[in-house]
Amino acid sequence: MKILKTIDSVFNKIEGALLIFLLLVMLFMAFGQVVLRNFFSGGIVWGDILLRHLVLWIGFLGAALATSGERHLNIDILTRYLPGRLKGAVAALSNVFAAVICFLLFRASLTFIEFEISNNSTVFAEVPSWYAQIIIPAGFGLLAFHFIVRAILDAGKALQKGAPA
Amino acid sequence: MSIWLIIAIIILLALCGAPLFTIFGALALYLFYASGIDMSAVIIELYRLTDMPPLVAIPLFTFAGYMLAESNAPKRLVNLAQALFGWFPGGLAIVVLVICAFFTAFTGASGVTIVALGGLLFPMLIKEHYPEKFSLGLVTASGSIGLLFPPSLPIIVYGMVAEVSIDKLFIAGIIPGIILISMLGLYSVRKGIQEKVPHIPFVWSNVARALRGAAWEIPLPFIIVIGIYGGFVTATEASAVTAFYVFIVEVFIYRDLKIFSDLPRVMKESMLLVGAIISILGVALGLTNYLIDEQVPQRLFEIVQTQISSPITFLLILNGFLIIVGMMMDIFSATFIVVPLILPIARAFNIDPIHLGIIFLTNLEIGYITPPVGLNLFLSSLRFKKPMLHIIKSILVFLALELVVLMVITYWPDLSLWLVRLTGTQ
Repeated sequence: MKILKTIDSVFNKIEGALLIFLLLVMLFMAFGQVVLRNFFSGGIVWGDILLRHLVLWIGFLGAALATSGERHLNIDILTRYLPGRLKGAVAALSNVFAAVICFLLFRASLTFIEFEISNNSTVFAEVPSWYAQIIIPAGFGLLAFHFIVRAILDAGKALQKGAPA
Repeated sequence: MSIWLIIAIIILLALCGAPLFTIFGALALYLFYASGIDMSAVIIELYRLTDMPPLVAIPLFTFAGYMLAESNAPKRLVNLAQALFGWFPGGLAIVVLVICAFFTAFTGASGVTIVALGGLLFPMLIKEHYPEKFSLGLVTASGSIGLLFPPSLPIIVYGMVAEVSIDKLFIAGIIPGIILISMLGLYSVRKGIQEKVPHIPFVWSNVARALRGAAWEIPLPFIIVIGIYGGFVTATEASAVTAFYVFIVEVFIYRDLKIFSDLPRVMKESMLLVGAIISILGVALGLTNYLIDEQVPQRLFEIVQTQISSPITFLLILNGFLIIVGMMMDIFSATFIVVPLILPIARAFNIDPIHLGIIFLTNLEIGYITPPVGLNLFLSSLRFKKPMLHIIKSILVFLALELVVLMVITYWPDLSLWLVRLTGTQ
């Protein structure tokens, strides 16, 4: 259990650091684009495309962190009232489900990336699009991993005797 | 196994609290698979996110809102509002409404307002001799007010899901939002006179001091309002300017956020919400696409049409339905689940999607304070350590007032659409 938590938080640290870096890049770049467009008649042509890809990266990294923080949007109207152990069991079940779905999405995104590589498609200029898209499988992979960890931790809670409600 | 059994299982898992994006993902994967399309179609649709310009506004406005909420901006702005409106009968109550609206517009409806501001505002109301019940109701109701004002995140998300112009939505929300606040404001003034709440005298030097204190935050609403309404920038560009401006002001000018300790925390914290929203948005694109290809909304409309013939009845039922939805889920989940279903039906009844958006958001705003399970009631009960029943009693008047405004907003489309036409926003 303890090792699992450690690995999970090491991943979180890396995800967090990358997230902060990308958000800063985005903050300055988005502002720079507005300045260039309004005062120098013309932003960087590929700037907006890059910005939207940055959102994709930030979105996946944020989602990975949201998994460990149990902050995903869900419908908790029923589970809100469950007693401690039962709550753990239900949470473990839904996390296993989430992990499976993320794994399937991970596989689907690999197919997508392979197709993009064999097509030699580009995001802008000569940059191959899979450079920007690699976050999709990587993100779903990370999400699957974090959900597994959650599921194991929740199952532990459910099995623990006399767990606090 | 039949399609319906699998769909039923997935819905059951949703009720067990599985993350919504995995529910949408599961449905999209399964439905594509069942109709013989490769599952990677879900990813192709997800990647369409990068073709949507307003996408960038989501992280930037959220980041700006979280920075403001975590800084001392609430205190400075409360000081200012009190110096300006405090001399009014019911002045402090109006301060509460305006400040809460401002912060809800900036932080989205994530309960941040009650948690962050309630603790500041509720004791102030009590200290100024407002009745406890009124104060509690006011703070609870104010927790979701301001959703209709730019740069509210729920408006942006609605715009992306419904594929309508966010700039237009921002403009459409203004008048209904002002009416909603004025309604509660008038009630507060009446209460202030009735209860003979002592006034704070208007002192120029206080105003000047408060103005100096909040000097850097005062331009914020104007950047957005003038920028967007004047047609100088789009909502997306406004988000870039706002985020950059707030960053400079809170980190380097006021230095409320320490660059190495607070800033990384606020960045991560705000991007958790962004990640949660974008993950749903991404997989929902695939699902929506499938539903449209299969003409599900059309079939839904045909069913609805056999039961309901007039748009007025439709809107009335919609209002009731949405309040229940708003009571049961948070605003973003509700947007992703409900909007794709009601939008085509509303269109067939000739209801403008912009107007629908305003109705939709007002309803959810009310759902937050609807007993017995509205989310704000819980937050308020936790935050102020009061029993649920007490909170519910305190909220009833406010709930009734908001319902009246909802009816006006629903049956008077021009209220939302007039300004949009006037400004001719694209």
